[in-house]
Amino acid sequence: MKLSGVNYLFRQGVRNIWTNRIMSVASFCILMVSLLLVGFSTLFIVNVNSIIGGIENKNEVIIYLDDDISQEKIGAMENELRAIENISDVVFYSKDEAFAQMKSEMADSEELFQYVGEESPLPDSYRVKVENIEKMSSTLMAINNLDGIYSVKAPNDFVNVLTELKRFISLISVTVLAALVIVSLVMISNASRASVEMRKREIEIMKYVGATNAFVKTPFFVEGMVIGILAGAVSAVITLAGYSKVMEMIMSQQSLWSAIGSGGFTPTSSVAVKIVIGYIAAGAVISAVGTVMSTKKYVKV
Amino acid sequence: MVELKNVSVTYSNGVDALNDVNIKIKDGEFVFVVGKSGAGKSTFIRLLLKEIEPTKGRIQVNGFNLTKMKKRNAYRLRRTIGCVFQDFKLIESMNVYDNVAFVLRCIDASNKYIRNRVPYVIDLVGLKDKAYCKPSELSGGEKQRAAIARALVNDPQLIIADEPTGNLDPALKHDIVELLQAINDCGTTVIMVTHEHEIVQEFGGRIISMQDGRVVFDDIIKSSYDLERQ
Repeated sequence: MKLSGVNYLFRQGVRNIWTNRIMSVASFCILMVSLLLVGFSTLFIVNVNSIIGGIENKNEVIIYLDDDISQEKIGAMENELRAIENISDVVFYSKDEAFAQMKSEMADSEELFQYVGEESPLPDSYRVKVENIEKMSSTLMAINNLDGIYSVKAPNDFVNVLTELKRFISLISVTVLAALVIVSLVMISNASRASVEMRKREIEIMKYVGATNAFVKTPFFVEGMVIGILAGAVSAVITLAGYSKVMEMIMSQQSLWSAIGSGGFTPTSSVAVKIVIGYIAAGAVISAVGTVMSTKKYVKV
Repeated sequence: MVELKNVSVTYSNGVDALNDVNIKIKDGEFVFVVGKSGAGKSTFIRLLLKEIEPTKGRIQVNGFNLTKMKKRNAYRLRRTIGCVFQDFKLIESMNVYDNVAFVLRCIDASNKYIRNRVPYVIDLVGLKDKAYCKPSELSGGEKQRAAIARALVNDPQLIIADEPTGNLDPALKHDIVELLQAINDCGTTVIMVTHEHEIVQEFGGRIISMQDGRVVFDDIIKSSYDLERQ
């Protein structure tokens, strides 16, 4: 095809947006609503997962050591603990450190410590973090197999609830997202089909005068892509503005984020680029492919 | 040249639209195809444009063997044919110039060729002053002239006119057929499908009459003008 031909097809595609402006606006709006629905749902799911991840990271197992354990054995145990799969962080607390911490945490109950005396009644301990709480029971089994352990304190109930919650949220997220994507595709497909239906006569004429299928489809492809890029860009701006506002509101609620931890939320800056690229790419591809697919029926003349 | 050999068409609903039809139209001929509704005229045209496939038989149009040709290559055949329809089939959003130029765009003609060829053809059909009018601003006769200009612009070997006078006033009908005859005089084969016997009788020439999917008459008749002179 000559360069003038390619140029003509691209100009024709862009011009068609204005010529069929009512359908173009309808396609734009439907695409934008679909992108916003899927986008906001994805962000919600990302944040829920991030919050659960944050809680997971706080999950700590305390390993109390036997009273008569030697210093060499304590040192060796650190390496043994680090060697266990699924343990990410190992910190030793001597009995004195643990006692000092207890005192500081219970500063209001000073009289209680008068009966205890100056010597720490607590054992030496290791505090370890578990990477994947779903593997908690196998990790605890590995810890209990080590020598010199008095007892192990793990948040079993909390872990079970969190694991169940995570599974439930994952299932709901996938179902809701899949449903939204299907609804969006149906809406977009109907919009582009209606837009093409209005121009079936034009396609019919093109075919009668000897246009190739590529010649017929290219302006529709360009038109769909331009509408998709515009809808993607506008959706990205709306999403970023909305998301920033929500984050601002959450951060202003100190009680909320101190309960969850401010790190539990995904900040706007870390999703901004992904949102812009994702929205524009998804908008362009879905709209262009959807529009071209809708012409299929009519190019069979 | 157009040649149909033992062609039959049966639609999926079981209707026999054409039944063992044999037609041969030589290059440069002007042929009227007449018949009542349901006689098989439209099926005949759809076959020539490779819109549908025959159930049986062989079709040859402008050197293309349509029976062997793949549907995706139909555009090659159609670039050698100009079509004129009863409902004009002009693109309403384009003016006359753009409607005519559109054909050349579709076949990837150069801008220079388009700039030279389109005004020439528009002038040829007598629409020079209306070149930049939209179809909605034209009369029925002018719309059909624009459609003929579009059919003519890529210099086709064959023009198929499907009821081109169906939506026109009697006076304009005569003009349109005269225009098609003038095109035929320049060597282009013209097949005009019509159910209007008065036009056929007025102009005469080769008539193919169809009935119930068969050719029931194929001969040359004299025009009423010739008969009056005798």
